[in-house]
Amino acid sequence: MKAIHYINQFFGQIGGEEAAGHEPEIREGQVGAAMALQAALGSGVDVTHTIICGDNFMGSNTEEAIRRILSFLEGKEFDIFFAGPAFRAGRYGVACGHICDAVQKKFGVPVLTSMNEENPGVEMYRSKMVIFRGGASAAAMKKDVAAMTGYGLRLIKGEKLLPAAREGYFGRGVRDQVWLDPPVNATDRVIDMLFKKLRGEPFQTELPIPKTDRVPIAPAIPPEELAKMNVALLTSGGIVPFGNPDRIQSASATRWGKYDITGIDDLKKGEYMTTHAGYDPAAANNDPDVVLPLDALRAYEKEGKIGGIHQYFYATVGTGTTQAEAARMAGEIVEELKSAGVRAAILTST
Amino acid sequence: MKLTLANFHVKDIIFGDKTQLKDGVLTVNEKEALAVVLEDSHITQAELHVVRPGDEVRMVPVKEAIEPRYRAGGGPVFPGVTGEMLQAGNGVTHALKDMSVLVVGKHAGGFQDGLIDMSGEGAKYTYYSQLKHLVLVADTDEDFERREQQKKNRALRWAGMRLAEYLGSCTKDLTPDDTDVYQLDPITKRSAAVNGLPSVVLVLQPQSQMEELGYNDLNYGWDTNRMLPTLMHPNEVLDGAMISGSFMPCSSKWSTYDFQNFPMIRRLYAEHGKTLNFLGVIMSNLNVALEQKERAALFVAQIAKTLGADSAIVAEEGYGNPDADFTACLVALEDAGVKTVGLTNECTGRDGASQPLVSMNEKSDAIVSTGNVSTLIELPPMKTVLGELASLGRDGLSGGWEGDEKLGPSVRPDGSIIMENNAMFCGDQVVGWSTKTMVEF
Repeated sequence: MKAIHYINQFFGQIGGEEAAGHEPEIREGQVGAAMALQAALGSGVDVTHTIICGDNFMGSNTEEAIRRILSFLEGKEFDIFFAGPAFRAGRYGVACGHICDAVQKKFGVPVLTSMNEENPGVEMYRSKMVIFRGGASAAAMKKDVAAMTGYGLRLIKGEKLLPAAREGYFGRGVRDQVWLDPPVNATDRVIDMLFKKLRGEPFQTELPIPKTDRVPIAPAIPPEELAKMNVALLTSGGIVPFGNPDRIQSASATRWGKYDITGIDDLKKGEYMTTHAGYDPAAANNDPDVVLPLDALRAYEKEGKIGGIHQYFYATVGTGTTQAEAARMAGEIVEELKSAGVRAAILTST
Repeated sequence: MKLTLANFHVKDIIFGDKTQLKDGVLTVNEKEALAVVLEDSHITQAELHVVRPGDEVRMVPVKEAIEPRYRAGGGPVFPGVTGEMLQAGNGVTHALKDMSVLVVGKHAGGFQDGLIDMSGEGAKYTYYSQLKHLVLVADTDEDFERREQQKKNRALRWAGMRLAEYLGSCTKDLTPDDTDVYQLDPITKRSAAVNGLPSVVLVLQPQSQMEELGYNDLNYGWDTNRMLPTLMHPNEVLDGAMISGSFMPCSSKWSTYDFQNFPMIRRLYAEHGKTLNFLGVIMSNLNVALEQKERAALFVAQIAKTLGADSAIVAEEGYGNPDADFTACLVALEDAGVKTVGLTNECTGRDGASQPLVSMNEKSDAIVSTGNVSTLIELPPMKTVLGELASLGRDGLSGGWEGDEKLGPSVRPDGSIIMENNAMFCGDQVVGWSTKTMVEF
């Protein structure tokens, strides 16, 4: 069996921060951290190539970096792809996520990586791939590599794999049924949980309810203040210029778009559309203002009820989109709005 | 109320001259038994089979499972359904254990019907592969629903109950192998020691979502869609007051056999007086309209509070829309200060990535989960099929399909099948047998 390993400039022994712009390259055999990976995999799996890419190069030229790396892999035989461990290194973690996601989509091989829970790459990519719970720094290299490879070996041999918590990776939000071994009837599990709950002891629910992250409604803005404010329009209802130039996904979106509405009073049929796949698009395509009410807001602007409308509207698709992705996209849009001095926004759904 | 279940363990079932139980062998006079089935002129074809664990037999569409019983002193096993109204849960009832009467459609299946494999990989998906069965395979002239996905299956289900009563009655003058006694003193007349234990109510949400009568679970013959939550003695459930309906995707369904043997009730009895004070069953239901859901939750919480229940266990017969009733009930009980544990299955989709319950609330912090209705199951061909294998794909069974662009048809030409867990007969065993759980990958 064959494996290929992705690592950054530091673990590829190119250099530290000064080499973070290092362009992607592929080398035969194992370089740097890939030697540790080979040692852990043992003789049954060869790490045939090491891919090295600077974290900044990946961060600022993501599409180009991915394109080049995928072209390196074209025609190469490999059964599994590893990236990292990235520990707490944020850019490296995100890079591992980017490349694993692309490799898995293009080549259909299993991908594995490892990051510390504080690495932003975890929230961005945990639903898409197996990310092992890694240590904070390179001191955990041996342990983190062993976790990835132990699982990877069983995965490619088709052996039994345990739930995320038992294997030690971040759950992907994929829930499936398993038979308890040894068997325990539901009745016994109920009674056990009930006693613990009655006694105030800790217990483990079998169906964890995700925490709802509620934002308090902002206090009302006095009309005289609103009359001087620029208001921004945002939507998760998928309103985009006709043809969806930014290819925002119709469901489970990871992209958002920003569209200049200078001089536009009305979102017209055939000029704008919805790309949202979670509702009947007929009404929104016929008159996009029913989802993103630019026409009504322009009227308010003319009447002087609001000071103006922000130059761009921002759009993504809400259906199937994970809370983590939504929060990331919102954070990025909020930065834009803040730097433009926008202090009021209307967010519409569907 | 004191119920004595007189158990007669059935080691084998055979056909013979006289219907009788001797040395653990149940002999069935086939002609006589079929005559009982054919008392209803709507039954057009009927045959009987004996099936044992380990047999290379696949059954589909399975409509119902019933434990054969006899009410000592006479009277219907299912009051208000197979005979006059009388109090269930008090007195002596004979039960033929380790077996059931299974009702299988000869041709026509529906959304609510399921599949049982008695051996091989498929056997683990249903409790019923462990029992011996007298299998009634029959057809009816109920043409109004022959092509309907939702079937009342009335003639077949009632035939199964008559057959169960007929078999049970052969124990009339016999001495049981053993007995189980289920007794609870009236709530206000319990000893100080029992009253000092944490008290618990079991809240059951049987299937009642069809507004039209004839599909839902029945309570003493009364359609559960038309009832408000009420306090019941657990013995009533164990003794034929509740019968299964014909509506829910099959892995979520509670058969009549499930009600008669309700493991969660029996488990609470085992704790009663030792670690818990089992107050009783609050029989609720599952509704369609939000107002009905909220009203039922309000009634449940009120009854639990009035009883002074410290804790509650809530079990739902279904998934999807009924999750809203389930969660509302858990939340209402927690809000009333009753510490609550839920018991349910989930629908996380074929890829496992969907939200497990349609409605979720952080207050429902203790849930025991028994399976994913949409898990894909692939099974090899089986030597013998009772019923009609094609019905799995053709008749709109909740876990089957005619064709799928990726997966192909549910039923393949070689007799192998691919289906969702949804169509496994009472597969998720929310009544308490389940050794399945749900985990994150």
